Amino acid sequence: MSTTTFTPGKPEVTARTFTASLLGGVPVAAVISTVVLAFFVIAALAPRLLTGADPLAIDLGAALQAPSSDHWFGTDQSGRDLYTRVVYGTRESLLIGLGATGLAIGIAAVLGVTAGLGGRFADGLINRGLEVLFAFPVLLLAMLFVTIYGPSVTTQIVAVGLGTAPGYARMIRGQVLAVRNSGYVEAAHGLGHSRWQVLRQHVFPNAMRPLIAVVTLGVGQSIVWASGLAFLGLGVAPPSPEWGALLDAGRMFITKAWWLEVMPGLAIVALALAATSLGRHLQTKLEGSQP
Amino acid sequence: MKNRQPAYQPTSRSKAVKAGAVASAAALSLLLAACGGQTTSAEAGTGEKVDGGTIRYAHLQEPACVYGGWIQQAFLSRQVLDSLVSQTEDGSIVAWLAEKWKVSEDQLTWTFTLKPGLEFTDGTPLDAQAVSDNFEFWQGGGNGTVQAHIGDYYSSSRAIDATTLEVKLSEPFAPFLSALSQGYFGIQSPTALESRSEAENCESPIGSGPFTVGEWKRGQSITFNRNDAYNSAPQNAKHQGPAYVDSVVWSFIQDNTSRFGSLASGESDAIGEVPTVDFDTAKAQFDVQQFLTPGRPVTLSLNTVEGPFTDVKVRQAFAYSADRKAVVDSAFLGVVPFEGNGTVSSSTPGYNPDVAADYPFDVEKANVLLDEAGWTERSAEGTRTKDGKELEIKIVFGLNSIVTAEGATALQNLQEQVKATGFKVTLVPATQAELFSGQFSTPDSYDAQLGYWTSPHAGILYINFRQNTEKKPNPANTTFYNNAKIEDVILKANSAKTTAEANKLYGEAQQLLSDEAVAVGLYTQTSSVASNPKVKDIWLEASQGEPVFHDAYFTE
Repeated sequence: MSTTTFTPGKPEVTARTFTASLLGGVPVAAVISTVVLAFFVIAALAPRLLTGADPLAIDLGAALQAPSSDHWFGTDQSGRDLYTRVVYGTRESLLIGLGATGLAIGIAAVLGVTAGLGGRFADGLINRGLEVLFAFPVLLLAMLFVTIYGPSVTTQIVAVGLGTAPGYARMIRGQVLAVRNSGYVEAAHGLGHSRWQVLRQHVFPNAMRPLIAVVTLGVGQSIVWASGLAFLGLGVAPPSPEWGALLDAGRMFITKAWWLEVMPGLAIVALALAATSLGRHLQTKLEGSQP
Repeated sequence: MKNRQPAYQPTSRSKAVKAGAVASAAALSLLLAACGGQTTSAEAGTGEKVDGGTIRYAHLQEPACVYGGWIQQAFLSRQVLDSLVSQTEDGSIVAWLAEKWKVSEDQLTWTFTLKPGLEFTDGTPLDAQAVSDNFEFWQGGGNGTVQAHIGDYYSSSRAIDATTLEVKLSEPFAPFLSALSQGYFGIQSPTALESRSEAENCESPIGSGPFTVGEWKRGQSITFNRNDAYNSAPQNAKHQGPAYVDSVVWSFIQDNTSRFGSLASGESDAIGEVPTVDFDTAKAQFDVQQFLTPGRPVTLSLNTVEGPFTDVKVRQAFAYSADRKAVVDSAFLGVVPFEGNGTVSSSTPGYNPDVAADYPFDVEKANVLLDEAGWTERSAEGTRTKDGKELEIKIVFGLNSIVTAEGATALQNLQEQVKATGFKVTLVPATQAELFSGQFSTPDSYDAQLGYWTSPHAGILYINFRQNTEKKPNPANTTFYNNAKIEDVILKANSAKTTAEANKLYGEAQQLLSDEAVAVGLYTQTSSVASNPKVKDIWLEASQGEPVFHDAYFTE
């Protein structure tokens, strides 16, 4: 086994490799991610532009056909075209990703800002509460919620949103504490700005800015969490083409019809990777432009 | 695979009934051959018999406790409780705890002679008084399914002496012995029933069976330990005396792929509910048994008192609207047979095969009926409308508890097919908790509900179609259909003097119910077991396919 020696020149090589760029400095990964995301946005908003078939139409004579020129992603056990179902499933999957992340950030912002600015008692109370929630895995919290309220898009959004909120809340609290003690906030206080003004104009925007990147990361992650729930049978009800539901329905055939798991799985991976990659790019840009 | 067609009375049948039975047997054999339901073995497994060992069996569902009124509970309680009688593959009734019995001329008094000297595993004598106590326990609410079967007929019971039990009925009940052969009728220790809590008796019932309930790791497995003193096996068992194996670890693996994987990897010696997608592979590598469960098949009960299905024409149109056979064959990959008769399944004595063909796929007929019913307009999506209201049908089904994933696929197929005639179907998968808590038991909670009800006799018609009145509610009447005339025919069948007469009347009732299209048949409920060829003699008993491990043993 060879030993790697880290030299000062190494990071430069790595940096050049990953900053290979197109279109005047925009990284290739960001461009690809944008194209992938654009595809999924079109799929969510106007699926008919990408396929002329009906995602629910069955063809019992063409059940469980492998990918071919007629059926790019193959067909399922009812003969439904899997590519069409993946395209039409984008809307619900994306809605779950965006909705869950939005809800999580909303809850986290309230908790994080209150903890960061609310004094020792509020901070202590919220922190202890968050620690209790951290003791439960995200999936367990989400499963508990879906079990009580039944599976649907809304409960998936709320379940995943609630499950992931504690992580964001801890992050926001840290940002708020850092910004609260910064020089420009002290300066604003010195200039006689009211507490509300300081919060609105300085603390909140500066504390939340790094989270823009985190949000894009969270969208992909939320879709993966929701898919996990669906895979456990706690997802959106069939015959919905939501990606998690497709995975759940296909697992029974995993030894006979690999495409039923692989194709929706690839869609989830592509969307999560694209959102994550774009999130990282945005994070780098924003960190570079910080005051 | 042998045809397992149970009957409910050990009396002789008429030629017509025999012919019917032979025809059904032939049809079933053909069907099962087509479905691949034959026992095969990839390995010879000719090694010597080995005493002892632990059979690791993986099952689909885990009920809340061992004893109860659900078939999943009967599967478990069959391992620890003995019943009075047992039903054989050819449909006759043979001795179990009762070594003989007779019925009075008026068919109201049954006298059972019990095997002498039997004991429960807690040391309580298993005598006529103990069995009488069990009848009283059931009648007092100890088991809802037992009550559904015999509650309206049972009058009283008493011990004439230690081994002679007399049971009085209020009316003749032809399927009495057949009903008694089911796991729900397992005899428990009266000492345990009296001295222990309901929960204790439910979780670990004390019986006289080949095993006792050992450790229960919730969510994982129950261990059944051998009862070394066992000496009361049914006459149709393959041997008398204690079980050959030391124990059975009955694990619960709900995921189909994982369950089959556990057999394929050697982690399990046998599995239940062989996934349809793996059926061919299982047949090539393991010993596979499939049992077509008698009783009511998996059927859509249509709500006849609220919503669109109050109109018989709409019900009939719905039945005509789908190619149900194609829907089922596709979803179950041909492994589970289609059943067009919505009230009684093909393996039940008294099954009327004509009814199964009453509503073939016929879009034209469906459209005419819907037009006649006034559903003449169509929405932009093609759904029929009447007075501005869409022809929307809400189908509730217990996913993973009552209906398997394949059954859910069959429903999705049906949902798409009936679109053409203008039905808009919404599928509502219900959790086991929702279903069993009665959330979907009222007329305002569904338009149709998918379910089955196992029974070794066609008297199931009485359970499912006895009128549901305020004075005498019938929660098993999931169609809410009350028809005094049909109930009368069923009652006459229940109290018929001969099996032939009973079956004729049961057949007539099925036809009357079919004419009203209150229940749309989809597929037969089945039990299946795949086992490693080194494990011999696991069998599925004939009343409802309960797996039996008493005779099972390992070979070298």
